[in-house]
Amino acid sequence: MRSLKNSLRRVGALTSRNLLEILRDPLSLAFLFLLPGGMEILFYFLFHALTPQFSMDLLAPGMVVFGQAFLSLFLGLLIAQDRESSFIVRLYTTGIYSFEFLLSYALAALPIALLQGAFLLLIGAVITPSLFSLSLLLSLFAGMIPALLFLALGILFGSLCSSKAVGGVCSIVVTGQSVLSGMWFPLDGLSEGFLFAMNALPFRNASVFLQNVASGRILTEETGRALLILLAYTLVLFSASVLVYRAKMRRN
Amino acid sequence: MAAVISISHLCRDYRDLRAVDDLCLTVEEGEIFALLGVNGAGKTTTVKMLSCLLKPTSGDALLGGFSIVTEPDRVKSLTDISMQETAIARNLTVMENLLFYAAVRGIEKETASARIRALFRDFGLGEVADRKGKLLSGGWQRKLSIALALLSEPKILFLDEPTLGLDVLARRELWQIIGRLREKMTVILTTHDMEEAERLSDRVGIMKGGRLLAVGTAEELKRKTGSESFEDAFVAVVTGGKSK
Repeated sequence: MRSLKNSLRRVGALTSRNLLEILRDPLSLAFLFLLPGGMEILFYFLFHALTPQFSMDLLAPGMVVFGQAFLSLFLGLLIAQDRESSFIVRLYTTGIYSFEFLLSYALAALPIALLQGAFLLLIGAVITPSLFSLSLLLSLFAGMIPALLFLALGILFGSLCSSKAVGGVCSIVVTGQSVLSGMWFPLDGLSEGFLFAMNALPFRNASVFLQNVASGRILTEETGRALLILLAYTLVLFSASVLVYRAKMRRN
Repeated sequence: MAAVISISHLCRDYRDLRAVDDLCLTVEEGEIFALLGVNGAGKTTTVKMLSCLLKPTSGDALLGGFSIVTEPDRVKSLTDISMQETAIARNLTVMENLLFYAAVRGIEKETASARIRALFRDFGLGEVADRKGKLLSGGWQRKLSIALALLSEPKILFLDEPTLGLDVLARRELWQIIGRLREKMTVILTTHDMEEAERLSDRVGIMKGGRLLAVGTAEELKRKTGSESFEDAFVAVVTGGKSK
């Protein structure tokens, strides 16, 4: 009982610290909130009259997932810097366990994802008031599923890469989410191979899942398939990130 | 005085390299003991094994009567470490760093507050209490790092190259702080700074290539090697008297 209390206290302290490290970095605030928020407003007003691709019911939840890709970047950066500065190694002398570290990174990232989701969905609902609905509220919480995928990627790359390399590697995730989600361009005319890749990878499935939930199309085959693929990737990547993190810590 | 650290035939291999080779040593309670050696001598590896960050390939060490091999959790409750690299939270203030570390160490809030007040007084940290870790100078970062290690009031404190990269004034100031620790705990410090080892420590162990070549007070080592200065004594020990 005492050891559980101590463990919870350690996880709580680490989570607060991780949260503050990310939120006090002006760059992370700019990329996690201002950039996706600005893009959401800009793309809506520039293009929504030209193509339904940029109607707010698709754009807002799509932008939530796009914004989450930046979470993997800043989480990865934090982990890589902690490793390099001996911050983690020092804390290991206090009797802390690897799972407590991992839990604290995840617990710090999820409220940020929730805040980010609320911010981006609110922008959408303010611009298009008809979006206000129970489904939109539900999509805020459903957004935690793709958030888990991106935080698993952040832990994985943060454990594998140096702080200098992690930015470049995580930008692949951001680019992947941008290009392979299909939210920036119409899918008509794309080759079958490209479409297959988009449907097989998690990025488009994450967007489709959240767009469908926000629009109230929850119990559809498309939503179910997207959720299944998303969960499978999340499970595999999370397991891989835990294994890699623990192996790296042992080596350090 | 009683031995608080008893190291027995401690070895550590990194693939083909033997980083620490058959280390045997006893350190008494309240002693400041310096492990001195050039880069790659095995000092940091020794400290990492004693603080249970690395498992020894063979051998053992008892710290406060507990084995680093079979009772690492008990050893960790007696020890703390200030690493060579800066190991503080960059975006947390000095005060937040101390409160964070106290929480991780499981120190009750009231006790932590009292200890932080004492550390502010002893280290002069009060004047930078609200400054973020990343905005502190190297000297302040190192002071904070040592203050963090003292929060748990360890019986044994490891200081890995505590003044590396600091300017003369910051170094002198840290020496005063470390010197005052003698009354409260046993300190093991690693250094390759002759002056630091001679000024601060009660005894010095000279390491080279993972082996402990000589142990004694600075005066004893000078006498043994027939050297006038401690630096000459160190050179005589590590070169086997071939270089003066």
